[in-house]
Amino acid sequence: MDLEDDTTVFATLKSFNSFISRPDPPQRLSEQAAAGAGLQMQYKRSMELLEAAEKLHSKNQYLQLDQEKRQMELSHKRARFELEKAASDSARDFEREVDRNQELLGRIKRLEEREAESAKSQSEQVEANRALRKKLEGLTQKLEERDSTLETANQTISALKDEIRELKQKIQNQDATISTQTLENQALEEQLDLQRRKYQEVSQLCQSLQSAQSSCSEHIIKIKELERRLALQEQDVVMVRTMKSEVARVPDMDKELRRLREDNAYLRENSSLLKEEVEGLRRKLERMERTKEELVNMELEKEVPSVLRSQSELQGELAQQRSKALEEQKKRESQDALVRRLQKRVLLLTKERDGMRSILESYDSELAPTEYSPQLTKRLREAEDILQKTQSHHAEMEVADKSTCVYPLFRLKIEDLEAERQRLEEQNSILEMRLERHNLQGDYDPVKTQVLHFKMNPTSVAKQQRQQEVESLREEVIRLREHLRSLQDGGALVHAQDDSSMPGSSLCLNLRKQMESSELRNQRLKEVFQRKIQEFRTVCYVLTGYQIDITTENQYRLTSVYAEHMDDSLLFKKGSSGSMQLMETEFSKTLGEMVALHLHHQKSIPAFLSAVTLDLFSRQTAV
Amino acid sequence: MTSTLKGITLKGSAELVAEFFSFGINSILYQRGIYPPETFTRVTQYDMSLQLTTDVKLKNYLTNVVSQLKEWLFECTVQKLVLVITCLETNEVLERWQFDIECDKSAKESSAPREKSIKTIQDEIRSVIRQITATVTFLPLLESACSFDLLVYTDKDLVVPDRWEESGPQIISQSEEVRLRSFTTSIHKVNSMVAYKKTDSV
Repeated sequence: MDLEDDTTVFATLKSFNSFISRPDPPQRLSEQAAAGAGLQMQYKRSMELLEAAEKLHSKNQYLQLDQEKRQMELSHKRARFELEKAASDSARDFEREVDRNQELLGRIKRLEEREAESAKSQSEQVEANRALRKKLEGLTQKLEERDSTLETANQTISALKDEIRELKQKIQNQDATISTQTLENQALEEQLDLQRRKYQEVSQLCQSLQSAQSSCSEHIIKIKELERRLALQEQDVVMVRTMKSEVARVPDMDKELRRLREDNAYLRENSSLLKEEVEGLRRKLERMERTKEELVNMELEKEVPSVLRSQSELQGELAQQRSKALEEQKKRESQDALVRRLQKRVLLLTKERDGMRSILESYDSELAPTEYSPQLTKRLREAEDILQKTQSHHAEMEVADKSTCVYPLFRLKIEDLEAERQRLEEQNSILEMRLERHNLQGDYDPVKTQVLHFKMNPTSVAKQQRQQEVESLREEVIRLREHLRSLQDGGALVHAQDDSSMPGSSLCLNLRKQMESSELRNQRLKEVFQRKIQEFRTVCYVLTGYQIDITTENQYRLTSVYAEHMDDSLLFKKGSSGSMQLMETEFSKTLGEMVALHLHHQKSIPAFLSAVTLDLFSRQTAV
Repeated sequence: MTSTLKGITLKGSAELVAEFFSFGINSILYQRGIYPPETFTRVTQYDMSLQLTTDVKLKNYLTNVVSQLKEWLFECTVQKLVLVITCLETNEVLERWQFDIECDKSAKESSAPREKSIKTIQDEIRSVIRQITATVTFLPLLESACSFDLLVYTDKDLVVPDRWEESGPQIISQSEEVRLRSFTTSIHKVNSMVAYKKTDSV
């Protein structure tokens, strides 16, 4: 009814508005046609419209007020209605409340009983709690002990790590030393090689020395022999001197011999010649005799005295030549005799010499070796002295021969001195460079120089400051560590010692308290939830006759209260679409008929479950 | 500045050399960055602009050392002045600026001033300080915080003054040395050299 009024009001308003707005466009059109008179008309119209508007407005207002009044009345009615309703409701509620109250009183009694029970259980639990707390404390102590042991272990670990580091460093050092020692080793080995080479050279030298020694000994032996020979020869010389005088004649005798031989030969030749002459003469003689005879015969005939003269001359010559030949023969014989005598003498002399030699050798061989060696050594020394003298003499001779070789000696000396000078100069320059280097580096002679510095110098001041800084930092670190430990200890216990001067500890404690209270709340809520859920489940079991357990995700196992065996259970799985499906179990195989009827045919799980319950119940009661 | 219009006396020479050391040490400290550059102020000396420290403690220290050094220069008992730069973290000596002083002891007895113009001496000092500035180009960088010390090599029989003590020579192990210019006042001859620690990167 009111709504209809409203709509009529609004409809009239709308029609009024449209009415107002309509004349405007025709007015505007007519303005152009009749401007002056139209204005008056317009004004009148507008005035009429205004009055109409006012009237409408007042009507509107009246309608509105009316409406309001109606609404008020309605609301009054409603309020009265509601109040009556409320009164009735409250009466009902009151009755209900009274019932409830009674119920609640009963409940309260029950709850009080329960409370007593729960108080008992709580006391028991408190005692259990205390026991648990004691266990906890024991466990915490153990934990602390273990923590301490862990800490000690950590410390030992850190100490061991430090040790390991140190050992590693030591190892590195030792490696370094080992490497240096291997280097030294190598150097020493090289030196060894050098030494070995030197040794080899030295051994070679030794061998050469030995060979030289052997050759020396051989030479010594030779020298001995030569000395022996010398001695013998001296003796021979003595012998020879005595024999010389006798033998001096030998050349004369040889000469005589030669002369004699020559004479002999000459004489032989002469004799041969003479013989030939003799033969010739004989032949001549014969001829002569023949001629003679002839002559004789002739001269006998002619002259006999001339032949006689020639014959006598020839006979005289013959006699002379015969005498000559005889003399030469005698000479030859005498010279032959001389030669024989001389040969005999020579033989005798040689025999005497051999004899003397043998005597001497026998003497030498008879002499003892101890008496022999000093002589030998003396002879050796003398021989050596002689050798040396000869050598020096030889050298002098050479020197004397080479009159120009005096200067090379000086030259050699000069060269040696120059080489030494260069070496010394190099050493000098090296030492000067070293000195300069040391001087640049700041070396000084402690005997002549001392190094001073100001006591309060910037470096020592800076070092002191650093030291102080380090010490203060160390103190701060120690202090912070202690504070940290105290904070950690304060967190474990509930009653904190607020003597620490740090402002953050109170915040910490507050937060800890909040945490503990929230944890307690959590615990209580868990307990309440557990209790409620347990209650609900037992009620379900009692009322429906099935115990529903959740085995895995979306799988539910139902066990009947009237189950014949403990394992008899039905397994339901929640599918992806949300529908429950029966899974096959040992027990469900025995219920094939009911499955077929209730699930496949009727498609009702509650019917199936109730059928199973009734069946089992009937079995139980029947048995 | 000493009044050396007539020549160099022993006292004047000692003053000149002490002044050179004062400015030279300041230059080295500035160039090597031992102290921050903002603690230095520019001054003019030897016809060139040099840096002088404004740090009070450092100034006191330098004044103490240089005044004592002046005495020793006058007595001709000082042999070397060494500026040692040490790394504070490793306590290793990184650089050594060494100034050898050869004193003509005959100047003590004669006390007649020597003929050498101040200008020549100043030119020589200027070239030495220029060379010191130039050596910074090849010296290795001092990367860590460093501090310095001044050592004085004196004759052995010298009495150690009150606030001084004996020290080691602070020689660098494995160093490279460079000899720099020298200058002479005709009584004192100062040879400069620098030794620095060889860097491993070479």
